[in-house]
Amino acid sequence: MPAENGKILAVSSVSKRFGGLLALDSVSFEVQRGEIFSVIGPNGAGKTTLFSCLVGTYPPTSGSVRFRGEELKGLRNDQVVARGLVRTHQIVKPFRDMTVADNIRVGVLYGRLRLRGAKARERVDEMLSRTQLGHRAQVKAGVLSIGELKRLEIARALATGPDVLCLDEVMGGLNPAEIQQAMVLVRALRDSGLTILMIEHHVHAVAGLSDRLVVLNFGKKIAEGRPGEALRDPAVVAAYLGDETKEEARA
Amino acid sequence: MQKFVIVALNSLLAAGLYATMSYGLAVIYGVMRIINLAHAGLMMLAAYATWALNDRFGLDPFLSMIIVAPAFFVLGMALYATLIRWLPRSAAGPSMQSLLLLFGVWLVLQNLAYAIWGGDTQSILTPYTMESVPFLGGRLGVPQILVFVVSILSLVGLNLVLRRTYLGKAIRAVTQNRDAAMLSGVNAGQIAAVAFGIGTAFAAMAGSMLSTLYAFTPDFGRSFLLKAFCIIVLGGMESFTGVALGALVLAFIENFASAYTSIPVSYQDAISFTLLVVVLVAAPGGLPGLWRMLDRRVVAR
Amino acid sequence: MTALLRRHPALVPGVLFAAFLLLAPVFAQRGMLNDLWNMAFFVVLASAWNLLGGFAGQVSLGYSAFVGIGAYTTVLLANAGWSPWLTLPVGAALAVAFSVAVGLPTFRLRGPYFTIATIGVGEAVRVIASGLEFTGGSSGLRMPQGTFDFNANYYAMVGLALLTLALVAWLQKHAFGLALEAIRQDIDAAEALGVHSTQAKLTAHAISAALVAIGGGLFATNFQYISPGSVFDFRLSLTIVLMPIVGGMATITGPVLGALLFSYLQIKLLASPTLRDSYLFIYGGLLIVVMLFEPKGIVGLWERLIGLRPRRRAQPPVGEARRAS
Repeated sequence: MPAENGKILAVSSVSKRFGGLLALDSVSFEVQRGEIFSVIGPNGAGKTTLFSCLVGTYPPTSGSVRFRGEELKGLRNDQVVARGLVRTHQIVKPFRDMTVADNIRVGVLYGRLRLRGAKARERVDEMLSRTQLGHRAQVKAGVLSIGELKRLEIARALATGPDVLCLDEVMGGLNPAEIQQAMVLVRALRDSGLTILMIEHHVHAVAGLSDRLVVLNFGKKIAEGRPGEALRDPAVVAAYLGDETKEEARA
Repeated sequence: MQKFVIVALNSLLAAGLYATMSYGLAVIYGVMRIINLAHAGLMMLAAYATWALNDRFGLDPFLSMIIVAPAFFVLGMALYATLIRWLPRSAAGPSMQSLLLLFGVWLVLQNLAYAIWGGDTQSILTPYTMESVPFLGGRLGVPQILVFVVSILSLVGLNLVLRRTYLGKAIRAVTQNRDAAMLSGVNAGQIAAVAFGIGTAFAAMAGSMLSTLYAFTPDFGRSFLLKAFCIIVLGGMESFTGVALGALVLAFIENFASAYTSIPVSYQDAISFTLLVVVLVAAPGGLPGLWRMLDRRVVAR
Repeated sequence: MTALLRRHPALVPGVLFAAFLLLAPVFAQRGMLNDLWNMAFFVVLASAWNLLGGFAGQVSLGYSAFVGIGAYTTVLLANAGWSPWLTLPVGAALAVAFSVAVGLPTFRLRGPYFTIATIGVGEAVRVIASGLEFTGGSSGLRMPQGTFDFNANYYAMVGLALLTLALVAWLQKHAFGLALEAIRQDIDAAEALGVHSTQAKLTAHAISAALVAIGGGLFATNFQYISPGSVFDFRLSLTIVLMPIVGGMATITGPVLGALLFSYLQIKLLASPTLRDSYLFIYGGLLIVVMLFEPKGIVGLWERLIGLRPRRRAQPPVGEARRAS
């Protein structure tokens, strides 16, 4: 089905309940094709849970997720990847005993493109160079630094050939130089035609990159809009930035 | 109606033993996220110890638990100190490595029993083994009643220890939230050792009591291990009440299935194995904690 | 060529050994051939199990069911007048069907939970098989007279062992092997990159089940007699699991080394009553030692000895070990 007026992803009234805990409470938003859309909020706000519900790691308790007009709810993670929506993990999940190149190869062989042979090798190399991991290709992923592991997460996800890339805190734990590098990479990815949905804690990165964003707190959407407006919303300042300043003071 | 009451009562009596048997597995899982496959071997070993004390010194099997349980508590601590402690700890979930290690321990314990007592079937005969008391027109076995009473006493005692003593509170704290407990100064290694001791002591008590009801060989215990595992899965893996509930459910299903259906006696064990697989997989969701457990810990992580 | 040899140090001894196995009937005595037959049988069991248990990391303790299915299919059909050879594909097909029936529900479980469920399934199968009439109950069943040619059976078993090894090695090299590897190392990450984990596990389960069942059919033909106690035995499941674990899971060589070790052990155990009484000590002790010191078994020990692999893997940075919201 063709996308209506550039809308690529529509999340409507998605809720997720874990036993007695309501981790997501009727969250709705829409993402336009080609934009960088951020999901922010304090720790425990339900951001990662939201990503998990989008890609089918587990199903939402209620609500609907439409991707290019198609309902994703009820699909498995691998089926969602095959349709072109892929995520990275905040807590990196490398295949530690595999080489970096093989890590990426999993995404190339089993993602949306399902390339084989020479084409597969080319795409692995392309991903390696786009994420500046070429010099580490034959190293076991278990020995990479945290910055390299975050890039490997992106490289693998990208290798699947997605339309929408969901980045879960790819800048967490990076130093300022690496954050700059990551911002350049994210922008380059968008410029190459991808739609980026990202969870980010780093305010400067969010403000500098996002076209629009939503703010979650205790599983509820408390604000939505352009970074300038949304970040000044009193509810956001109270819930999110209060928490953030404390964290910065601690660090 | 009368048959129904008697079957229900027998289920209740069986549930007491089932709970004791399962709690040992649950406390170790709760504190260490380890599935103790050696549980079966420990129950078997305790059954032999009880038999030996009875055979050699004429000690009543229920009285012998006063010796057997503390001895196995020490044995459990020793197992922890010599083997379990050296395994890499995984915060996420139970590791294959610990499962297989304890599987090895179980095999060694089996062989130990073969070496000491041989492979013949043993059983303990006491003056009350064949006794039963009339109840509501049916009869209830005396050993079954004694086992139930002792089980309830041991579980009440354990509950007191867990709620009143420092060590008990620490065990519950680690079970609920390991990181938080360690941050508040709990020595996790020490707690783990004690928990392994308690788990082993409960395996021993269950083994002693099983020896008054069933004949046994060194292979004894596998079906009871699977039952215990079925129970803790039914009960949500770590809560005290969950174990009791799981024990009740399994005991009632087993007893009613054999009383009211034509499933042959030889297939009775298959009921719990099948139930185990069904529960592990399908999680009917009726039991508290079960849905959450399957949703988060087993299937959806 | 030298690079190939350096990467696969087992290649030359492996080819020589395969040649030895194929030529053995020319010069060896029947006693020795029996031992070699048994070794090939163990190679089939260990390597086939390793596809699911080693590469995909799904440790199943219920594999004797597949030996049993293969063996019973052969005996029952042979008694109905079939040629034993024609029964083998039937046994394999039934084992595949059973592997899917068991796998569909249990593969939703992770790690040790899956293992426990397989103990449950294996026990249920054994209990039910012992109760069923057509298995001959505890007294077992015989093959019909005059259906047996040892040499043919020997070549079939050795051929099956080589086929199993070649198949597993080929799968490992290709996309499917990478998917299994990914599932073992991090199943969530594998799924997040598009791997259909249940399908991959079912496929691995089915392939290994078919190979094991064919082995079971040849087993029945060779021994001419089976009973639930011999083919659905927990001890058989135990041996199947121990061989790859002791040899080295998720490697091609490991299960073969394990099979060599265990078939040698079995000869020794059968020969000596005192050893026979302590086989569980040996099995359990091996399991404990391997898990405590080298979870990658003999192959891991070797790799460590020649310095291919550091003793400890790099730990994830602190802070990364926390779970997210």
